[in-house]
Amino acid sequence: MSTNLDTTNLKTDEMIINMGPQHPATHGVLRLILKLDGEIVRHVEPVIGHLHRAQEWQGQNRTLFQYQALIDRVDYLSGMFTSLAFAHACEQIDGCQIPPRAQYLRALVCEMNRISSHLLWLGTFLIDLGALFGFPFYPFREREKLLDLFEEIAGQRMMFNYIRIGGVQRDPKQSWFEKVRKFTAEFPDRINEYEAIVTQNPIVLKRTKGVGILDKSVAMDYGVTGPSIRGSGINYDLRKTRPYGIYPELNFEIPLGQNQGDTWDRYMCRILEMRQSNNLINQCLDKMPEGEILGKKQIAGLRIKAGEGFAAIESPRGVLGCYVISNGSDKAYRIRWRNPSFCNLAVLPSLLIGRPISDIMAIFGSIDVILPDVDR
Amino acid sequence: MLANSAELFKFTRLTLIWLTIIFGSVWGACFVVGVLIPTLLLHLGENEIFALLAQICQYLTPVIAILVFIPINAMFMVLVERRGLALFTVRMGPNRVGPDGLLQTAADAVKLLFKEDIIPTGADAWLFTLAPIIFFAPSIFGSIPLLAAITGNNDLFAITNLPTGIFFIIAASSVPVVGIVMGGWASNNKYSLVGGLRSAAQAISYEIPLVLSLVTICYLNQSLNVVEIASRQTGGFLNWNIFGGGALNGLDKYFNALINGSSNANDILQAYYPSNQWILTVIAIAGLVVSTIIAFFMYITAACAEVNRIPFDLPEAESELVSGYNTEYSGIKFAIFFLAEFTNLFIVSSIATIMFLGAGNNPIPQFLIDYLFKNVTFIPQTINAITQALSPLINQIHLINPITFWSVVWMIVKTYSLVFFAVLVRGTLPRFKIDQLMDFGWKRLIPLSLLVFFIVIFAKGVINTNV
Repeated sequence: MSTNLDTTNLKTDEMIINMGPQHPATHGVLRLILKLDGEIVRHVEPVIGHLHRAQEWQGQNRTLFQYQALIDRVDYLSGMFTSLAFAHACEQIDGCQIPPRAQYLRALVCEMNRISSHLLWLGTFLIDLGALFGFPFYPFREREKLLDLFEEIAGQRMMFNYIRIGGVQRDPKQSWFEKVRKFTAEFPDRINEYEAIVTQNPIVLKRTKGVGILDKSVAMDYGVTGPSIRGSGINYDLRKTRPYGIYPELNFEIPLGQNQGDTWDRYMCRILEMRQSNNLINQCLDKMPEGEILGKKQIAGLRIKAGEGFAAIESPRGVLGCYVISNGSDKAYRIRWRNPSFCNLAVLPSLLIGRPISDIMAIFGSIDVILPDVDR
Repeated sequence: MLANSAELFKFTRLTLIWLTIIFGSVWGACFVVGVLIPTLLLHLGENEIFALLAQICQYLTPVIAILVFIPINAMFMVLVERRGLALFTVRMGPNRVGPDGLLQTAADAVKLLFKEDIIPTGADAWLFTLAPIIFFAPSIFGSIPLLAAITGNNDLFAITNLPTGIFFIIAASSVPVVGIVMGGWASNNKYSLVGGLRSAAQAISYEIPLVLSLVTICYLNQSLNVVEIASRQTGGFLNWNIFGGGALNGLDKYFNALINGSSNANDILQAYYPSNQWILTVIAIAGLVVSTIIAFFMYITAACAEVNRIPFDLPEAESELVSGYNTEYSGIKFAIFFLAEFTNLFIVSSIATIMFLGAGNNPIPQFLIDYLFKNVTFIPQTINAITQALSPLINQIHLINPITFWSVVWMIVKTYSLVFFAVLVRGTLPRFKIDQLMDFGWKRLIPLSLLVFFIVIFAKGVINTNV
């Protein structure tokens, strides 16, 4: 047998794999068409639209009052933020006054929602890293408490319909505030617990450090926002750079990634953001004024003035924009969403090419995409 | 105080009930096949055929023991895993089927047996069917040499006492990977294929440190026979292979003499550890003890990789490869894969117990027991009374053999502790990447295991020349 193998005629093929839409780790229904060379990804094509529910079209065919109840579904993990963006846009057109107590309540529930959203992200991110059965359940323990608190004020655990045009829906009881205080008092300890298991875990460090480096210029080109861009060291947080609501009155810092914008930085950014949100909740509770909570009467035939308005807020996943054109009737003439997940997902192929299969889920998990937010 | 102590209590109760079920049924089956039927046959008459049948029955005992043990044990281990993980992750776990979820996995097994057996389009039907069998078979025949060590060399299991036991086990344990690759290839599914190929790479890399750490112990004990290795570790944890494989024997004897007030305690110490070259001796002994402890942890790591447990479960890698090599399997074939996986976990744990943790030997040093019995006389009296009361069972019916009984009890305690440790690891760690896995295997574990092997050889040489 000849020892000189003729390798010139040896043919190797790239393997095409359809990852999703039914795959345990694509966070719902994302489909990735992967071209693999062995374990290395050569080409990625995300296919979206499996969860399209025509949220914008529905907004034009339902009354504003009806649509208010629907928009929590745009991004089901941060329903408060979608409601807030829509309310802001409508209030901008209408010019109605929002009572200060409602402003504070909005900030309070939004920050709580930010924590619950990041907690769910933490759990699923660890599942993506392969810690399937152990640790991921601990964040859900705290998230459960938050959802209970939401249920108490909004009557629902995820689809709140709490923030309305002109204010908020219900004034919580004093006991509710005490429960929130109890939660914020013990939450930093819980984050310490997560960090004790994850932050110094050698396997987590190996899987995340230097993986999926998101360059500053690439991030800006693709319009990446939220913790994903702050992980790359760009200080862009609408709560600071274009403040809305009562955020100018609150005292807080924007956590930024310390290294190069890898998966680890994005992880750390969210962990720090949870601590910061906890701090913001406490500030809101301390400064909570008394008074009215609703500046506009909530009736079935709710109308706003004619005009157009755009509001952008900082959701847990990035800049969430809502553009509304009203012709003065009880329905909006046109509604358009700018969703952070959609823009963040666009950057995925440039991060994945040249990486092994195992990194797909680590990187994809770290940019925190929610598929209903992508597809609307 | 533990927040979920009620759950912990339930978990403990469930474990004890299942262990009783498992070992009760295995014991019963062995008794019927190995003792009852042969005795009855011999009572029927002085016939050559009856004698032959009786002998065949006795020879069949180990096979019966394994065939009864493996399915029940796998059911128990799946339940332990699910309830244990629930315990670690502030959940309840399965608690609906039967009292306290006791029968959950039995119900699951029944469900899997009655599911439709699907062979996907484009799959190679022959290989697809053969793969689970090849995966499962080694866990049956590979565990046979262990039986002699587990039962404390009981007569009924003497047939399983192979002179090259550990060699046979290692050889058998490298077969399952063929089944995985075969299943991955035959499934006609790209995820399965990647899973199968990963498994092949992983098994080849991790078998080397696994074997080298076992070879270290075999060298220390100058034997490949598991029964002999087990019997060399009698008399307390100081004699276990994890602590230098007999390097601390002298210490054990010294303490024994010291506590019993014997005058020649120092002579014993002198005999084992001569003082004329004490620096060299101390270094050698310390080297031995440290190396064997490292060898133990290397074995545990490599064994985790060998049986595809987290953090080395890359062939399955749920978040990447859906379910890896068994993605396309369902029904009875999937059940066989599942069964084999948990049986393999049990086998590697029992190998660790036999090779490193003193097999079925008492972990409490003999001198402490002697001391206790001498001073608190009611304990030996009670034991004697119990032995007396059970003597018809022991001596006439041969239902219980005290040596086998205690050996099995300690094996159960140690092996299931290791299994529980594997569950704890699964509840804590994320998964490696394939290139990191290879790095860890080839660049860390293999050099380290070679280093440990050489240290052991030199240290053993130094001790032997001194004594």
